[in-house]
Amino acid sequence: MDFDTIVLGTGLSESILAAALSKAGFKVGHFDANPYYGGDDASLTVDDLRDWAESRKKNTNTVYLEAQRQRFSSISLTSSNVPRSRTFSISLSPTIIPSVGPLVDSLVASGVSRYGGFKLLESIAVFDQPSKVKPVPTSKEDVFKNKELSLVDKRRLMRFLLFAAGEFEGSNELAGQETQTFLTFLREKFSLANKVADAIAYALAFCTSPSDLTLPALQRIRRYLRSAGRYGPSPFLVGHYGGIGEIAQGFCRAAAVNGATYVLGRNIMSLNPPPKSLGSQANLRWSLSLDDLDEHPSSRIVAAQPAYISSSSPSSPGGRSARCVAIINTPIRFSEPPPELNDDVSVEDIGPGEIDTGLLIFPPSSVDSGSSTAAASCLITGEGSMATPSGHWILSFSIPMSEQDASREPEELLKPYLEAALTLTSSPSPDSPTKPLLTCYYLQTLPSANMVVLSGSPQPLFTVPSDIVVMSETADTAATHAEEAFWKIVKDLERKGVKPTKIKSEGEGERSEEGVGEEPQLITQFWPPLDSVGDDDD
Amino acid sequence: MHGVKRVQYSQAALEAKKQRDHDKLKAYLALSDDVIARKSHDMSNEAFELTTRLLRMNPEFYTVWNYRRDMFIESLFPQRSPSEVNELLSDDLSLTFELLKQHPKVYGIWNHRRWCLEHIPDGPSPDDVNGYRNSTWNKELFVVEKMLDADARNFHAWNYRRYILATMPFPPPPKSELAYTTRKIEANFSNFSAWHQRSKVLTTLWETGELDRVKSIEEEFELVRNAMYTDPDDQSVWIYHAWLIGNGNYAARLQFEITSIQELLDEQPDSKWCMESLVRYKRLLIEKHAENLGDKKALVDSCLELLAKLRDIDPPRRRRYDEIAEGIRSGNEMQ
Repeated sequence: MDFDTIVLGTGLSESILAAALSKAGFKVGHFDANPYYGGDDASLTVDDLRDWAESRKKNTNTVYLEAQRQRFSSISLTSSNVPRSRTFSISLSPTIIPSVGPLVDSLVASGVSRYGGFKLLESIAVFDQPSKVKPVPTSKEDVFKNKELSLVDKRRLMRFLLFAAGEFEGSNELAGQETQTFLTFLREKFSLANKVADAIAYALAFCTSPSDLTLPALQRIRRYLRSAGRYGPSPFLVGHYGGIGEIAQGFCRAAAVNGATYVLGRNIMSLNPPPKSLGSQANLRWSLSLDDLDEHPSSRIVAAQPAYISSSSPSSPGGRSARCVAIINTPIRFSEPPPELNDDVSVEDIGPGEIDTGLLIFPPSSVDSGSSTAAASCLITGEGSMATPSGHWILSFSIPMSEQDASREPEELLKPYLEAALTLTSSPSPDSPTKPLLTCYYLQTLPSANMVVLSGSPQPLFTVPSDIVVMSETADTAATHAEEAFWKIVKDLERKGVKPTKIKSEGEGERSEEGVGEEPQLITQFWPPLDSVGDDDD
Repeated sequence: MHGVKRVQYSQAALEAKKQRDHDKLKAYLALSDDVIARKSHDMSNEAFELTTRLLRMNPEFYTVWNYRRDMFIESLFPQRSPSEVNELLSDDLSLTFELLKQHPKVYGIWNHRRWCLEHIPDGPSPDDVNGYRNSTWNKELFVVEKMLDADARNFHAWNYRRYILATMPFPPPPKSELAYTTRKIEANFSNFSAWHQRSKVLTTLWETGELDRVKSIEEEFELVRNAMYTDPDDQSVWIYHAWLIGNGNYAARLQFEITSIQELLDEQPDSKWCMESLVRYKRLLIEKHAENLGDKKALVDSCLELLAKLRDIDPPRRRRYDEIAEGIRSGNEMQ
C-alpha cells in the first residue's frame, strides 16, 4: 500500500484535498479513525451522536481520541426516546454556505455538486425579546416590506447596503476607519439606528462581539450581498443531510471514483516518520500502523488533521466556543400569521411563519443570563434540508466564549438561549413549555492547526493555521485551505519526480502505465475539466 | 456573473456533445421536411403525432401550430363526442404548459393556448353546458401564476392574465387581484407590469365602490412612499406616484407629497427623480392653486434651482429642463 499522499481525517478540508489530488492523478490513501465520513464536520444520526459523546468522554489510548477529548470537552447529553432516530442528520459543524465562494466553485468544478442537494436558507432573524424576533432586511425587497423601520431608516439602510455591495476600499467613508469597530462605523458613518446596526453587524456580517473590526465585516457583507440572487433571495445554502458532513462525503466519493483508497473505522496506532537517511530525501516515506492491519500504508506526503499527529493542543485562551444541539418536535415561528383571514387575502399572503431552515441570531445582552459580550447563533434545520423526519427540527447553538464567560459551563451558558428560542414555538399550553427530545451541550476548542502537511523532513512542509472563523465562512475557508495544501503537495511531489498517472476519461479506474511513453503531466489547475457535459442543457 | 468561474469540460466531452448535437439536427431537419410535405393534405393521426414531436423540438414553428389546428378542425373533432374533444384540448393545454416552462415568451404557444380555451365544447351534459369550460378556465389562472412566479416581468404572461380575467366565466373578485399585485410588488417592486396591473384593478374597485377611493389612495401613497425611500432610482415607482397624483386638483395632497419628497432629497441629495418630481408637483401647485399660494415666487425660484441642478446631474436631458424652465418663467401651461 504505497501512496503519493496519505490523508488522515475525512473532514471537509481534507476531503476536498483528497478529491483534488486523486483527480489530478495522484495515488491517495484516505484514512479516518471514525466509522463515518466527515471527521469533526460529520453529520451524525442520534445514535452516532450518543456514541460520539461517549467516546469523547472516555479515557483512551490513541493519540487521535485523546486529541478529540481535549477538543470536545464538558459534554453532556440527555435525551428521551427519539422516534425514527436514524433519519436525523446532526452536524458537528453547522454551517451556512455562501452561494458565491470557493466552496461552491469547487463543488461545481469537481462535479461533486451533482452528488447532493442543497436548501436555500429561508430566513435570518434577530432575537428581540421572548416570543419576538425581528427579520433581518438584507435585500431591497426585505427593506421595502419591513414594517418596523421608519422611512428614513430604510433609506439609510439601503445606502449602506449599496455601499457595502460596491468597491468600498479607498472610499471616503472608510478613510481612517481601519481600527474602528464595525458597530461604531455603522452608527457614525451611516447614521444607522442601534437596532439596525445590531442586525447588520450580528446577523449579516456575523460579527461575534461589539469589538469586531470594520473592514473584515464589510468584506464578508459584500460577499454575501453578491451571493444573494444566485440561487434564490437568500445568499446562503444549507447542505442536505446535515450540511458539510455530507459534502465531505461527496468529495470522498469523487476521490474514490478517481482511484483513492478509503479506510474508515480503524484506529491509527502510530504515524511513523521516515527513517533518517544521509542520502536523497526523495524516497523517504512515512508509514502508518493501523489497528488490526498487518500492512503498513506508506507515502511520501502525509496531510493530516493535527489530532492524528499529536494529542496535546496548546491551551489558548481564545478559540473556545460553547455548543448545543437540541431536537424538538414543535416548529419555530419567526412571524405570527395576521389576525384576520378573510376572502380578500389568500393563504400565500400570510406566509408560513414556520421555519424549516433558518438562522436565529442573539446579539450580546439579548438574553437574560446569556452573554453580554458575545453573540450567539442558532441554525434551525428541518425536513426541508433532509436533516430530520417530518415534524422535527434540529437546533444548533454556538457562542464563542469571551473572557468574561470563560469560566462558565456550556450548559449553563447556552440553556438560556435554548429557552429563548423555545419561546418562539407554539407550545400546547403556557404551563407545559416545549421540551426538547434531546439536548447535547459541549465545549469546543480550536485545534493547534487545521491541517498539517508532512513531507521528507520532521518539520512540516506546510501548516494550515487554525483561526477563529465565523459560521458563514467555515466552508469557504476549508476549500481555500484545501487548495493551498494541494499546491504545496503538488510542487513537492513534482520536485521529487513523482508523476501523476492520467486516468483515461472514457472509463473509471483505467490507468496508463506510469511514466512509460507519457508526457509529464503538468498540473495547472486545482480541478481538471469534467468528463461529461450535463444532459440538462439539451 | 461576478466571481463565477466557467466550468471546464474536457476535449473528449466537448467532442461527444458536438456529435450529439449534429445527430439531433439531422433528425430535426428530416422531421420538419416530412411534416411540411404533409401539411396540405394529410390530416391523419400519424401526421398529428408528427406535429407533436416537431413542436416539442421547435415550438416557435407557428406554421406547424396552424397545421395542428387544421387537423383538429378537419379530422379530429368531427364525429367526436364533447368529452373526447375536451380530452384532446386538455392534452394540448398540458403540452403547451410544458413547452411554456422552457419557452415562456413564444407567441405561438400562447396563441395556441387561447385557441384551445376558446374551443372547449359545451358539456359535460345538457344541464351543465359550462362544466368543461369552468374547470379549464380556473386552471388557467393557476398556470399564468406559475409563469409569473418564474418571471414576474413577462409581459406575455401579464397580458394573458388580463385576457383570462376578462374572459373566464367566474373570475375571482378584483380584491383578490389587488392582493396578487401586492404580492408581486412586495417580491420585487422594480416591476412596471405589476404596478400597471394594480392601477387598473384599483380603478375598477373605485368605480364599483368596493373600495373607498380616498382611504385607498392614502394607502397607495403610503405604499409607494416606502418604495421611493427604499430605492429612489426606480422609475416605475415614480410613474405610479404621478398616476396617483393625477391632475393635481387636491392641493393639500400635493403639499404633503412635496414635503415628503423633499425629505427624501435631503437624505439622498443626488436623486434625479426626486428633483424632477418636485418640479412637476410644484408646477402643478403654481398652475392650479395659484390663488391659495402665499409665496408664488418662492415656488418658482425653487423650481428653477432644481432644474439647474438637474441640468448638471442629467446632461443628456438638459434641453428638456431648459424648456421646462422657460415654461415656468413665462407662466405657460404645463405641456
